[in-house]
Amino acid sequence: MKTTAPVTIAFVAGVIMVISFFFNEETTFVGGLSQELLNWLIIIGGFTLLLGVVSITRVNWTAVTQKKEGWIYKVFTLLSILVMSLPSVLPSSWSPLLGREAGSIYDWLFTYMQAPMMATMFATLAFYIASAAYRAFRARSAEATLLLITAILVMLWRVPMGEAFLNLFPGDIPNLLNTYIMNGANLAVQRGIIIGAALGAASMSLRIILGIERTYMGKG
Amino acid sequence: MTIWEKLEQLDRRWIYLAVAIAVIIPFLVPAKFPISVSPEAQSFYDNVEALPDSSVVMLVFDYYPSTMAETEPMAIAGARHFFSKDCRIITLSNIPLGGPSMAEEVTRRIAAEYGKEYGIDYVNLGYKYGYVSVLKGMGLSIESIFPTDNSGTPLSELPMMDSVTNYEDVKFIFEVADNATADYWISIVNAGYGVPMGVGMTAVMAPKFYSFFGSNQIVGLLGGMKGAAEYEILINHEGSATRGMGAQSLVHLLIIALVLLGNIGFFASGKHRRRIGK
Repeated sequence: MKTTAPVTIAFVAGVIMVISFFFNEETTFVGGLSQELLNWLIIIGGFTLLLGVVSITRVNWTAVTQKKEGWIYKVFTLLSILVMSLPSVLPSSWSPLLGREAGSIYDWLFTYMQAPMMATMFATLAFYIASAAYRAFRARSAEATLLLITAILVMLWRVPMGEAFLNLFPGDIPNLLNTYIMNGANLAVQRGIIIGAALGAASMSLRIILGIERTYMGKG
Repeated sequence: MTIWEKLEQLDRRWIYLAVAIAVIIPFLVPAKFPISVSPEAQSFYDNVEALPDSSVVMLVFDYYPSTMAETEPMAIAGARHFFSKDCRIITLSNIPLGGPSMAEEVTRRIAAEYGKEYGIDYVNLGYKYGYVSVLKGMGLSIESIFPTDNSGTPLSELPMMDSVTNYEDVKFIFEVADNATADYWISIVNAGYGVPMGVGMTAVMAPKFYSFFGSNQIVGLLGGMKGAAEYEILINHEGSATRGMGAQSLVHLLIIALVLLGNIGFFASGKHRRRIGK
């Protein structure tokens, strides 16, 4: 039963969604059924988010109460969850500090703490990329040399100073790069990747619908 | 140890310092270089310009705060462009972390510049889980997916939404994203409902979307901070992307210089090793 029920649900839901593609979603029974399934998905998804919050709270709470290594950081995690979530779910009609509107506690914490911290973390990539480019980007083979030359030209083209430099040479190099690199070689390769990924996704979906792929149940 | 071997073992902290200087200097000593407009950005601008005034458009905030430097200038420029044409904007987000808050902050700030009013000229629908279901569901009824706006006000109480039922009432969608949701907007909403769409991407994602631009599935593409700067130039309102071009230029040039230097060291030290028989 533990296996049969999920496989049956996946099969029925999957088949309905595939068939509904060929029916009008407003006027046909199958179309309406697919819309209903999509609504269920949103509702179930909401509960999974809640489950995630409960899970992270439980894991961190256990670590704090048992004073596991690094428990002090987990106290901050719990405090952050509490401070960000609680005021945001309470109605703003109680106080302008509650809810998620401008001027609320949530808005203040997001704008002045979370967003700058996330942007800072991401910005550090620039330092690592520069260091990695210096150490790893070597013309070891013909292919690597081609990649290196293309990368340098595209990097020059995508910034005003570099573009001004490229324009010193005859032949409208920026336009050639846009036409033959980005809208030529790049476009062709990207389409190949997209088609390949789509075929992979379709075959995986088919495997799930037919019950061949069961890793979503924790089984191989 | 030869100079080339020393160069190969350069302490990474010198590189970090050089990057920091390259980022800071252009903000202290601004140097202006002409920003050329790509055909993709020009097409984006032309398509928005061609919209009838007062059209209903969607401005989608599908980016995380981590990529704000690249993506937010696009969203700001988009909001300015739409409001300057008296378009009515619906904002929403398919990512839970910050999307609705950034939509709120950007639209309220730009709306104040143009004297626009919430509920009449723009609406923030907020976030709802499951972007595939959300995008598909809005094709039938936006209100069925978002019964209330981001603040909990029922859509029926917002005058702007009186004339909006589903995608048929939306004339243009501007998707600003740093993740795969853009693919779904194109494959579900553009392909399924035929709504014209332009996308703004981080620079690392942009190459993929040239294929969608080439097939006319999107009518415009803004790639990275350069794309945002191009759009700012087109709407004649220089913002943070245009200002950031100096820093980005210098860092790009620095990385190119480092790559060249690294390769010179690599080849020179290789020759040296061969010469001394190592």
